[in-house]
Amino acid sequence: MVTVPTAVPPTRGRRAPRERRRRPPVTRGQWWLLALSGAVLLVLLFPVYWMIMTSLVPSRELLTSSPPLVPPLDTANVDAYGAVLESRPVGRWMWNSTLVTLGTAIISLVVSTLGGYSLSRFRTRAQQVMGFTLLFSRMLPGTLLIIPVFVIFASVGMINNLWSVILVNVAATVPFTTWLMKSFVDGVPFEIEEAAMIDGCGRLRALGQVVLPLLRPGLATTFTYACILAWGDFLFARTLMPNPNDWTITVGIASFIGEFSVDWGGLMAAGIMSMVPMLVLFFFLEPFLVKGMASGSVKG
Amino acid sequence: MAGDTEVRPSDAATRTPGRGGDRSPRTRARREKIFAYGMLTPTLAVVGLLTAYPIYVAINLSFRGGEIADLQNLGRYPLTLANYVEVITDPELLADIWRSLVYTVGVLAPAFAIGLGLALLLNRTFPGRRIVRPLALLPWAVPGVVVSAAFSWMLDGSFGVINYLLRSVGLIEQNVAWLANSSTAMTAVIIPTVWKFYPFFTIVLVAALQAIPHDLYEAARIDGARSWQQFRHVTWPALRAPAALAIVITGVGVFREFDFIFPLTGGGPDNATRTLAVRIYNEAFEFFSFGVSAALGVVTMFIAGALLLAANRAIGQGVR
Repeated sequence: MVTVPTAVPPTRGRRAPRERRRRPPVTRGQWWLLALSGAVLLVLLFPVYWMIMTSLVPSRELLTSSPPLVPPLDTANVDAYGAVLESRPVGRWMWNSTLVTLGTAIISLVVSTLGGYSLSRFRTRAQQVMGFTLLFSRMLPGTLLIIPVFVIFASVGMINNLWSVILVNVAATVPFTTWLMKSFVDGVPFEIEEAAMIDGCGRLRALGQVVLPLLRPGLATTFTYACILAWGDFLFARTLMPNPNDWTITVGIASFIGEFSVDWGGLMAAGIMSMVPMLVLFFFLEPFLVKGMASGSVKG
Repeated sequence: MAGDTEVRPSDAATRTPGRGGDRSPRTRARREKIFAYGMLTPTLAVVGLLTAYPIYVAINLSFRGGEIADLQNLGRYPLTLANYVEVITDPELLADIWRSLVYTVGVLAPAFAIGLGLALLLNRTFPGRRIVRPLALLPWAVPGVVVSAAFSWMLDGSFGVINYLLRSVGLIEQNVAWLANSSTAMTAVIIPTVWKFYPFFTIVLVAALQAIPHDLYEAARIDGARSWQQFRHVTWPALRAPAALAIVITGVGVFREFDFIFPLTGGGPDNATRTLAVRIYNEAFEFFSFGVSAALGVVTMFIAGALLLAANRAIGQGVR
């Protein structure tokens, strides 16, 4: 059988009392740290607070030079959300964004796991080329790439096709995520697969059954990174999706601005709605993200 | 690092027979090589098709003369240097480059400072840290366009809350039209960009901080190092390499950033926020001078590359 050398976890019964004994009492300094981070959050998250505020309070009360800083309870309501959902195909845009984001994240995950594994386990020139490619592709102005990309997709009739946006986003994420996955695979001892392969697994099966479960933090990091990038993309979707029904949520939101009068309440309501999926994702996957960035950036 | 994990042909001998029969170590090694490249193929295909090929098209486009309307048939247009001549002799080019630099440095310095301060704070243990951390990193997950929209509202000259707050604490006396005034517009586009980019520094630096062994601090404390000395001699050396890498990667990203400037100001007022990335877009999609736009893009690529090399040398760490 495949033996995976891992640290033997102490049994639950023995572990719990030790932890309780070990946890030191909260010192006064730590309460100060909490107070300090509260104050910092207050400043850093003010824009998010103000968006929520704007989406809840009727515009006429905010369109003054001294807007109320706390939502007035008697007039705050969620009408702006209903109005936006009724007047614009927000649901449709969110759906398009979801398709683009999931497509990008899944394809990036597969491509960069294979690529990262190959770069980590087989030492060739390709590794150096890849590191260079990462930086080089980040150097290119997206505004430069978008013209040829437009030409390419126009010539194969893929304008207004979500696949074109997915593919461009994959191209934008893959250099970095491959690099990340490589450092995650570096962290998995080769002996583990070797043992599996001696037991008769092929390389691909060893990767799938033995290495992949150990790569979960890396997969989560890659997934989060790709999702954030694809969900936030504006330039590619805006250029490749001229048809308003095919817009993603970011393009839809941008269309609120630049008209003669801006419906700030509606705009912020749409903005908040666009943030929710990413927030959920972020709260679940953030711990992995820090770990992932650690191995990605420290090891290079 | 698993740098020494070479492919080991020796396991061929211990392999169970059956899957493809018995093989000599050499065939096995060759198969491994094919496998290694096979796994890399999707990556290379994606990068090649959607990065390398577009670069080729852009370079090709930049050397074609005439009013290029059908981009599919570039071969029909004569090869010429006219676009480059137009770009390089344009006195506005230097101003565009300068604005790109101002924007990049203007974003990097505060984003790094906030990121570092926050990383040092979040690396300490205190109650509620598990909730504070994702909240502090949250701006990274907000789409750039939403960030721009929120700030364009907050920076509004008449009804913006930022004006109100600054007036309340007495920093300004009269409202400032941040985005419409050419002397404040650059600051106004820098602020949201900083807000979006500081979490990346925090993530990288928290990660690096967590990798520092605890004994180092203990040893420093026994040697009588005060907290500043501990930072200088223990913390900072460990942060240097990841910080340098994060600065270079983010810097390159900010240099060609488009998603914040364009929705906020469109490059105006009076071109005060027209960076190279915005200009490239304007040339192509407003004036439809695709050739000029591409030439400008190629020039930008070279400038970014030169900056990357210079930054690399200045930092002395080397981005590998």
